[in-house]
Amino acid sequence: MSPPEEPAYTRPIPDPDTITAGPFWQGASEGRLMLPRCLQCSRAHFYPRTICPHCHSRELEWFEASGEGTVHTFAVQQRGLGGWNDETPFATAFIDLREGVRMMTVLRGVDASDPASIEIGAPVRVEFERAAEGVFVAFWRVVGPGPAGGGQGEATGC
Amino acid sequence: MLMPHPLRRGAAIVGSGESDEIGFIEGKSSLELHAEAVSNAVEDAGVRWEEIDGIFATGGSGRFPAAALAEYLGIRPRYMDSTQMGGSSFLFFVHHALAAIAGGEIEVAVISHGECGFSGPRRGGRGTGGAHQFDPWDPGELYERLYGAWGAPAFYAHAMNRYMHRFGATREDFARIAVVTREWATLNPRAVMHSKQTHPYGGPIDVETVLGSRMIAWPLSLLDCCLVTDHGAAVVLTTPERARSLRHRPVWIEGAGEALSHMNMSQMEDFTATSARDSAARAYSMAGMGPGEMEMAMIYDSFTYTAAVTAEMLGLTPRGEGASLWAGDDARPGGRFPVNTNGGGLSFSHSGMYGMMLLVEAQRQLARSAVGLPGRQVEARSAVVNGTGGSLSTTATLVLTAD
Repeated sequence: MSPPEEPAYTRPIPDPDTITAGPFWQGASEGRLMLPRCLQCSRAHFYPRTICPHCHSRELEWFEASGEGTVHTFAVQQRGLGGWNDETPFATAFIDLREGVRMMTVLRGVDASDPASIEIGAPVRVEFERAAEGVFVAFWRVVGPGPAGGGQGEATGC
Repeated sequence: MLMPHPLRRGAAIVGSGESDEIGFIEGKSSLELHAEAVSNAVEDAGVRWEEIDGIFATGGSGRFPAAALAEYLGIRPRYMDSTQMGGSSFLFFVHHALAAIAGGEIEVAVISHGECGFSGPRRGGRGTGGAHQFDPWDPGELYERLYGAWGAPAFYAHAMNRYMHRFGATREDFARIAVVTREWATLNPRAVMHSKQTHPYGGPIDVETVLGSRMIAWPLSLLDCCLVTDHGAAVVLTTPERARSLRHRPVWIEGAGEALSHMNMSQMEDFTATSARDSAARAYSMAGMGPGEMEMAMIYDSFTYTAAVTAEMLGLTPRGEGASLWAGDDARPGGRFPVNTNGGGLSFSHSGMYGMMLLVEAQRQLARSAVGLPGRQVEARSAVVNGTGGSLSTTATLVLTAD
């Protein structure tokens, strides 16, 4: 007997760049967030590259990130690319990871129909959803309230 | 004593033109819009076709825009540039053409734009801002558009929200920019939103209309966003000597600067600023002038937010108060500091890459050749012009004067 079919992933499906970013996509399929880091200057970067954008060294390594961050900012989309257009409104966000890099996401655990209820600075955790055979997409979910008084602007500089 | 910058006043803008029609033009290709604009600009400047030795072009004209345009026009230039930096490209071209003219490489440069931003996507061609194929090999696609963000508003909305969070600005503050810019459009019969005759929703608007318009990507509503049109435009640049022999009062390029902060928005360090801070510093430095000496501004207004944050970067308002430039009467028709006198990308025309329209309008205002209702032609003798491309990614700033 075949296993029950998962709902189809109708949004854009990434075609992973395995030469530059293999460990990122492999990690995603195992539920782990992998980031590249420079062996020369020790700084992480994202998206994955073949050269460090901070010091231009080509000596890089991969490490498992905490999977924790905060909402840097968000927007609520009333139209979307591809299959996302069937899920409006949805909230997109840029996430400040604990490791000092920023990632885009569709924000989970929020009510996109009420932008005022979504908090900049709210803590988020990463999770992964299967898009195709062996291909998993990272999403970030709000897991708690934002800082009181909305002081995140000061905390992260800008 | 400080030596003047060697490029300062090394070239002048001596004429400009647009495609015969602008707005929604079903039947023309982007190359045809280019060609009409160049033809009109060459006539406006009073130069001869055989004098043109530099072509600077981009827009919706294939993979080699300058080559495609030169061939179409029957010109074989000796200096060619198809730089693509988004909507700011045309102001980058001015910087490049200035260096080429001042360096003696060329004498007459044409900078051109033609783009079917409205009609292109509807006939299956390539436009900008509309639906497009998902390219998994581009980092911006693979790590950002993967999440469904569609077109420029989807991205810019994030910056506006962060700015509102940091500085306490409100949607009302930004809406006022759309209202004032529409006032300018009512003086410009060529503006798409000039009146009910030019567009069903044309004519004056108020803040409530902006706030109540359809939400596109919160906090950006429809009237916070630029138009999407078909448009061609071009300008002619030449040497100071040749400029003085032509029909228009020369518009001097006192300063030019370019900068970028990122390409993809996840790489944008400060969501509440743009690289216009750097490109403006370079342009003011070349000019030996500052924001206090500017008498008008042409500011890329892809969105109300773009205009507001850029006003700050250009030194026209204090930090966090960009929208205040439009709060009183200064920026309005008849005001002391006219801004976006053509009606802006918000209400005049915006084909996807708006920078050329800024340039055409600045040339007309400073050369005193602006045509329209009373009050459209302003008295300014200096202008700061700033283009923004990509996702608040690239900027180029010009300081222009007329004697």
